Amino acid sequence: MPSEKPSDSDESSSLSPFSSTYLAPQAPATVIRGATLLTGTGQQLDNADILFSDGKITALGSEVKAPAEAVEINGVGLWVTPGIIDVHSHVGVYSNPAVRAHSDGNEAVAPATAKVWAEHSVWPQDPNFEKALAGGVTTAQILPGSANLFGGRGVTLKNVPSVTMMGMKFPDAPHSLKMACGENPKRVYGEKGGPGTRMGNMAGYRTAWIAAKAYDKSWSEYEEKLAKGDKSAEAPGRDLEMETLRGVLKGDIKIHNHCYRADEMANMIELSKEFGYKITAFHHAVEAYKIAPLLAENDICAVVWADWWGFKQEAYDMIRENAALIELAKGCAIIHSDDETQIQRLPQEVGKAMAAANRMGMNLTPAQVIKWITSNSAKSIGLDDRIGSLKTGMNADVVLWSGNPLSVYSKADKVWIDGVLRFDRSAPELKHTSDFNLGIITPAGDRP
Amino acid sequence: MKKLSITSLFISLVISMQLGGVGVANASDILIKNARIVDGSERGQNELTDILVKGSMIVGLGSGLSAPQDGRVIDANGRPVSPGLFNADTQLGIVELGSVAGTVDSSTSNENITASLQVSDAFNPSSVAVTYNRSLGITHSLIQPSNGTGIFAGSAAVVKLSNSGNIVVKKAAMVVSLGQAGSELAGGSRAAAMSLLREAIEDARDYSKNRDSYASGSRRDYSLSRHDLDALVEVVQRRQPLLVRVERSADIERVLEFAREQKIALILSGASEGWRIADKIAEAKVPVIFDPINNLPSSYETLGSRLDNARLLHDAGVKLMFTGMGWQNTHNAYLVRQSAGNAVANGLPYNVAIQAITSNPAQIFGLPGYGQIKVGAEATLVLWSGDPLEVMSNPDLVLIDGQEYSLESRATRLRDRYYQRAIK
Repeated sequence: MPSEKPSDSDESSSLSPFSSTYLAPQAPATVIRGATLLTGTGQQLDNADILFSDGKITALGSEVKAPAEAVEINGVGLWVTPGIIDVHSHVGVYSNPAVRAHSDGNEAVAPATAKVWAEHSVWPQDPNFEKALAGGVTTAQILPGSANLFGGRGVTLKNVPSVTMMGMKFPDAPHSLKMACGENPKRVYGEKGGPGTRMGNMAGYRTAWIAAKAYDKSWSEYEEKLAKGDKSAEAPGRDLEMETLRGVLKGDIKIHNHCYRADEMANMIELSKEFGYKITAFHHAVEAYKIAPLLAENDICAVVWADWWGFKQEAYDMIRENAALIELAKGCAIIHSDDETQIQRLPQEVGKAMAAANRMGMNLTPAQVIKWITSNSAKSIGLDDRIGSLKTGMNADVVLWSGNPLSVYSKADKVWIDGVLRFDRSAPELKHTSDFNLGIITPAGDRP
Repeated sequence: MKKLSITSLFISLVISMQLGGVGVANASDILIKNARIVDGSERGQNELTDILVKGSMIVGLGSGLSAPQDGRVIDANGRPVSPGLFNADTQLGIVELGSVAGTVDSSTSNENITASLQVSDAFNPSSVAVTYNRSLGITHSLIQPSNGTGIFAGSAAVVKLSNSGNIVVKKAAMVVSLGQAGSELAGGSRAAAMSLLREAIEDARDYSKNRDSYASGSRRDYSLSRHDLDALVEVVQRRQPLLVRVERSADIERVLEFAREQKIALILSGASEGWRIADKIAEAKVPVIFDPINNLPSSYETLGSRLDNARLLHDAGVKLMFTGMGWQNTHNAYLVRQSAGNAVANGLPYNVAIQAITSNPAQIFGLPGYGQIKVGAEATLVLWSGDPLEVMSNPDLVLIDGQEYSLESRATRLRDRYYQRAIK
């Protein structure tokens, strides 16, 4: 692994390159009146108003006073939710058209590639971004794929048009590290030098964490010397792979761990304790319901599909009530898409999961389950102080729905990000379409 | 296609006599009272009907029907009853686990078997994917092969998700891939795939007229094996439609022209850009199978993909059959109703969406007893907790040929084990 001397620091996020250049444009204050609000905090407010200005939610409740210049929207019969958050997306790293040239999600050349950053693969012109926006998605965590034990860093993006990735990057959002259990790494590397088994996977993680501990120690010692004013202190060599793992050990980078089977998740929890790091979320956690109390106890979110199964052995034990059983154990349930079709209708996925749970005997409401794609999601990407709920002071990421968002018939009518209207079904002239789409059907006709 | 209808009618009579066994409640007559019938035909929105089932058939429809002796009465209380749903593109019963090769029978790498592959030969009615989707309202499907080494994938079959007598139409359609997939199979050009198709059809025609001289070794060589040619004879003699997987509008147009020249019955599958030439598809009276939820340019041949493709095709007069949802169209074949619901959300008339998952495939594949709720039809019905196209609805009762099938599945068994632990 090539190393080089650092300039003045290692991975301190405030000084890191590739920082966000996103700035929300000015937008008028807006008030929606008489709507049904799902706040993302477990509440449903009927016949309620919501006001936002200068990019923040400033008031909600009944008969909210709005400034004279505010845009007034009649929300009677309509529903309002926080902007939808997808914590597992590959939009931009597996862009459409899905040609080989756009396959930038898996650095499948070695099983440990914590050094790669998904943001360096993101193509901002992926025509999937605007389709996700039409489905109410305002924020997405873009992750590397799951071929590797350590797949690389994930990035959180705002779903706004931009020519550069930095223009979409959520300001000051923590990075994540994608790890993967089970079938994928052993399949990809079984005939490429390993790991070829689940025990090989575990040995691979442990080997890496042992190295990371040593790296962390040498840097911590150096930083301590610097802090004490020791001008002769010499910086250890810089290593991108280890920088990411050290970021996890320091708590700056959140672990988002692809892991299907209950027994493997339990092993990964043991592993995290052995090396003193925190697992934030298990993704594709098809068997999370089997260890719901264990996950709740360890404050680990279970990020699941509503109903996908059967594509591999470790996806055989799916139940539609998975998220609900996590909720029952007072854990953190999240529904993700991992898919460019599902990202367009995440509330429907929640609706299916809620209905199945209620058939089982629970009594879940839209107010509760909307958390699975809003506030719980925000928590898992470290942004619950800014997005994921309708509360005063939060970013004005707001979706106005034509009806109950969990219904197959409802559509996002309007979507605001930081108070800026970014999508309006009734105003196609406002629509921003990707460069890719321009003139591609006919010279005058854009992709629909 | 007339011949198919007679065969399938015969088969369904046999099935109704054979039913019984695993997962089936005792047969008894059933009266479903106060049902809102949803079968794609125009009915009053609030019209409630009683449905009387005797044996395998619907024998009465009306109001105030009296309960059968020794029978059950179920009060639907305004809940909808639809025909069991039909997903027109799945691999139910031929794929158990996608990544476990020993459970996957949807294609072969054997070069001598292309058109002659019949997925019905591998169908497993006990597959967990079958029983799961049945418990969620699917009763019928067109199961389709995947391509192996050639552009012909083999014969798709219509199956019924009952415990026995499942193969309703053994050779329902001959599946061929053109467009990008065809190009890859034919050596890297769409034109090569067309050339292979033309050659195969010509060979099959020649072979059908010269079987004896071929058998005696005095006929020219053909591009395909004898079995593959035999399979294609069904197509050239119009006893089986050619189901062509194709997406781009120009490719669709070429296929329409080819089928017209060759006098071949055609079904289109995919047709992302069908809306661009909807009038021509309608004029050729060619039905289309697709997932109406697809709206992304996943390849350069689906650039025109859009959410209102279903509406635009319907407006032009094209007959629709649906699959879905997304790539989970086998394990979650029941989500075809979510795809259909999204088509309605994007402008397709509600009854047309229902027809696309019930009566249209019944009509196209020749199942006279299935697909509509009327006296004399098979009692293959689902009673729903709510609107069948709404994602929050679920089946309350599933009948196939009058037999009740359990709503239990491997998934609910797993569910109950852990739910019971949790609430103890």
